[in-house]
Amino acid sequence: MKHFDALDKLLDALPLENGLSISFHHHLRDGDGVINPVLRALKKRDIKDMHLYVSSIFPSYKAIKELMESGHIKDITTNYMNGPVAQAISQNGLKGTLKMQSHGGRARAFIEGENKVDIAFIAAPAVSRQGDITGAVGKNSFGSIGYACEDARHASLKVAITDTFRDDFTPQIKGELVDYVLEVDSIGDVARMASGTLKITKDPLGLKIARETMQFLTAIKAIKQDVSFQSGAGGVSLSITKMFNDYLKRHALQASFYSGGITGVHVDALEKGLVRDLYDVQCFDRAAAKSLFVNAHHHFMCASDYANPNNEKRIIKALDIVILGASEIDLDFNVNVTTDSYNTLIGGSGGHSDTAEDAKLSIIVSPLLRARTVLIKDRVNTITTQGRFVDVLITERGIAINPLRTDLIEAIKGSDLNVMSIEELQKKAYNLTGIPKSKNHKLSAIGIVENRHGDAQDTLYKKE
Amino acid sequence: MARSYLFIPANEPRMLQNAYVFDADAIILDLEDSVAIEEKHEARHLAKSFLKDYPKDTARTYVRINTQADWLERDLACLQDLDFEGIVLPKMTLKMWETYEKTALKQGFHKPVIGIVETPEAFFELDAIASIEQIEGLILGAEDLVSGMEAKRTLEGHEILYARSMVRMACAKHHILAIDTPWTNLEEAHLQKDITHAITLGFEGKCAIHPNQVPVINEAFAPSKATIDFALRVMKKYEETSSMRFSLDGQMVDKPVLQRAEDTLKKARFYGLLKEDRS
Amino acid sequence: MDKPIMTGSLESSDCLITLYETDTPIIEVDTIVHDAFHDHILHLIKDVLKHYDLEHLSVRIQDKGALDYAIKARLKAAIEIYEDDSNG
Repeated sequence: MKHFDALDKLLDALPLENGLSISFHHHLRDGDGVINPVLRALKKRDIKDMHLYVSSIFPSYKAIKELMESGHIKDITTNYMNGPVAQAISQNGLKGTLKMQSHGGRARAFIEGENKVDIAFIAAPAVSRQGDITGAVGKNSFGSIGYACEDARHASLKVAITDTFRDDFTPQIKGELVDYVLEVDSIGDVARMASGTLKITKDPLGLKIARETMQFLTAIKAIKQDVSFQSGAGGVSLSITKMFNDYLKRHALQASFYSGGITGVHVDALEKGLVRDLYDVQCFDRAAAKSLFVNAHHHFMCASDYANPNNEKRIIKALDIVILGASEIDLDFNVNVTTDSYNTLIGGSGGHSDTAEDAKLSIIVSPLLRARTVLIKDRVNTITTQGRFVDVLITERGIAINPLRTDLIEAIKGSDLNVMSIEELQKKAYNLTGIPKSKNHKLSAIGIVENRHGDAQDTLYKKE
Repeated sequence: MARSYLFIPANEPRMLQNAYVFDADAIILDLEDSVAIEEKHEARHLAKSFLKDYPKDTARTYVRINTQADWLERDLACLQDLDFEGIVLPKMTLKMWETYEKTALKQGFHKPVIGIVETPEAFFELDAIASIEQIEGLILGAEDLVSGMEAKRTLEGHEILYARSMVRMACAKHHILAIDTPWTNLEEAHLQKDITHAITLGFEGKCAIHPNQVPVINEAFAPSKATIDFALRVMKKYEETSSMRFSLDGQMVDKPVLQRAEDTLKKARFYGLLKEDRS
Repeated sequence: MDKPIMTGSLESSDCLITLYETDTPIIEVDTIVHDAFHDHILHLIKDVLKHYDLEHLSVRIQDKGALDYAIKARLKAAIEIYEDDSNG
């Protein structure tokens, strides 16, 4: 294992050539300080036609756009993106192809050799003398480094980039996997990690949807002793997690585990004994990062142990309930969280399609109306998650159950819930907005959505 | 009958669009305090268009109008021939009623009115106000009343206990709706405490100034599940024995208990809390 | 009309209407639901102007997803100001 104290010295030692494929993780979210400098240095060395594998793209990852425009980045494979880079890709496409994977699918693709990476650049909050890596300590400790595990195992060369050397930690990634260590002043600004979506909502519509969700879960008696649960970090999801915690407390129940991206709200449940274990692939805030370090029941997990469909021991295989969002849903319950109706990339699967497929009950929560835009389309613009894996849609104006789930339809009989068919719910919305005209924007393809098993599921198109 | 009366600022389409989403038993489109003076004109048009074209829901819909004579006249003029439940008239006194009635008569405007009693004057003519035929209920407006008294609004509510009791009694005497004051602090536990005071005095509903207050109010003012179950069993046994006096769970049931059970079930049915009525 | 009349706002679910006079009247529709409702909104505005016999006026609407009832209300509010001005 070689140590370097300057990026240029490291790059001198690396085999760099045109068509290079490189990978990064996104754990520092908008506070990442590794992706931009590394990419710019590679541009300076004029490495052309690179394939970028990055687990997600955030608004601050601006160098990606620069290298796309200068022809240095040709292809991108990622699980989620928003901000200026997403805008630019939607507008102009890539020189090569965009591939959108899921978190579980990315892990599988590394293991199977579908994602073939020459050099993995791993932002590491702390590195030991043996080259061991952890995300849980250091100046910029972001907690779990779960999305970088497979990069570290399967890339040809692995570089740990750190601003902290310590020896007193349990490794999340073993030093034997690491080829090079680069010391930098700072790997980013962890304070900017939790910016954005991570607040329990006070928005009355969001709270109404959260309450309806709890009523639904109660009506079908889904919240039992040892239940397992996952929800995202959006405002409504967080409100549901909080109400879920309160329910457990009121009924003296304990959940078996919460999984996925972990926040302070999840940690609160662990500390109060409302849940036995947290399985954490990514910390969404500092409270989660801190808890991962101190609480023995707050477990670090790699993306493959989280959601890889070929891993029989994946955590979400045992998941009872998952709460997910949608930017569009259609009459067959297909969900789009990847693009808006005009083909602009606004997100991606992340763990959406993984958890929907594996969890026993997958619930989509979303407002039915956003101003004059109706959530339910005849056909979604992009299929992120297939309808057969989606069980229930809960909105502020009603609940629709996937007709495939006859058991759920049976279970809610006699309840007070405002349940109707998804067609009726769409009609209810149209009654307020009028019937929208639909227009086909699908002119030039720029990439594909790949499902977690590695099959092409849908095509991505340029924005008109 | 309504547990919750949710105020919706009439000049905010974003709020109007979701007015019926929050399960309020009644909504009050507000042309008065939540609309800036320079927006009154546009708010009237929006309220009118909303009442005319926006699909109706099961919630009762009221409009709170302005009291300044020329505004009151324009408010009523724009509300002509529209389908809604009634007017909410703020700063209610006998003198205010005179102004209102004159304008309403001139325009041929006939709708039930809920008055907000919120000035010290009103409390010295409460009996007369409550006896007016078009008045279907009274709202206690504690915020304005307390500032009129130069008192301080508190969580304990001693400062308004007298006024609250008077409103309740006047409404009971004239068999009209007794609606409790809004609680302006958004802390849920505080709202709950304020509601308890109102329920103890016999109020049937309460105003909400934020949608997040509605579920708290609805739950508090609805008969509890235990109360409903007991009432159902009382009525069942009554039908079986067809006697006005019998014992249930070792407790004597007589006419007042029967009457209460009947009232409970009537309320429960109205608020959709009895499942057999849902199908 | 001395200066354009403006009603409404750029808040979500609202629209900003500008009513003004030009030699040749035009109707500009700028909406966040362009694909779905542009033509519909254009017709709605034309119908209201026609109803008031004011087809010589120009309208610009900057729409943030307002429903029909709100668009009509904003436009009628502007028209009423215009008529009050013209008569007074």
